[in-house]
Amino acid sequence: MFTDKIELADFDKMEPEYKELLGHVLTIQADCEIGGPHLYVEKMLPAAPTKLDQLIVARTAAEEIDHFRKIARVAGDIGVDVSFVLSQPNEKRFVDAFRGVIDTWEDNAVFGFLIDRVGRYQLEEFFDCSYLPLQRILPDIVMEELGHIEYGFNKTVELIQSGDEGKAKAQKAVDFWYVRALDMFGRAGSKRSERYRYWGLKRRTNEQARQDYQTEVNPILKKIGLTVPDPLKGRRYL
Amino acid sequence: MPEAAPNTEKLDEHLRVVVQALHAAVKQGIPHVKEPEIVDKAVADCKELLDEIMKGEVKEWLN
Repeated sequence: MFTDKIELADFDKMEPEYKELLGHVLTIQADCEIGGPHLYVEKMLPAAPTKLDQLIVARTAAEEIDHFRKIARVAGDIGVDVSFVLSQPNEKRFVDAFRGVIDTWEDNAVFGFLIDRVGRYQLEEFFDCSYLPLQRILPDIVMEELGHIEYGFNKTVELIQSGDEGKAKAQKAVDFWYVRALDMFGRAGSKRSERYRYWGLKRRTNEQARQDYQTEVNPILKKIGLTVPDPLKGRRYL
Repeated sequence: MPEAAPNTEKLDEHLRVVVQALHAAVKQGIPHVKEPEIVDKAVADCKELLDEIMKGEVKEWLN
């Protein structure tokens, strides 16, 4: 196991595998950060139920764009240009959950509640990671992601409390996004995941992170009166 | 030191400015959500800024 901490100035001395893995994970992270606004800005900015919600959609997008900027800077400094993801069509996003368009308010709410939470998990993988410039940008990004998760959760609860129709819409959205959230952790037994851990770039295996997520989310879903979807139904990455 | 990717600094600066403008527009609107003239202008400003970012025409931004 590699336990050193690396600064930008040390990067050139690292083995090719480390450089490749760091560049790869930064590219995916950048794609996920900008992939969110590409899912919801077009339809949800005009369609949010109140003016305040419209402004919060815009603020959320602004924060995600800023997360992209910070990740792109860390990647750019090691020679990895991630700017291509800014114009990448949604269907080519690295992660399935970002391939599409959000066109209902309940999907927007549940996306924040469930998918931004996976985003938080992905970022937490880098806590105490071996690449210090990445570690340094995390606290502000994670704090903002917590705000997105809370907003998504509150909007989901509002829907549930609005009556049977709202609850059914929330459940349908959860059924859709829950399996996508689980898939975002990747395949159990992934060899690449093991190499990330070897180089101190990630802390948990894909399966450990996925199980931690389920342990956190399932009781919340039950508490707000929703049914936890079958964790295997429709899954693509097991 | 590794060689930075082209335009790393410029892209960073461009996005920083856009994000600041977005936050300014949001801050302008939030205290006035019941005043259509002000809040609609704030939302329209956000939309204009976001539309530009969503187009992703990086070369145009940097020239």
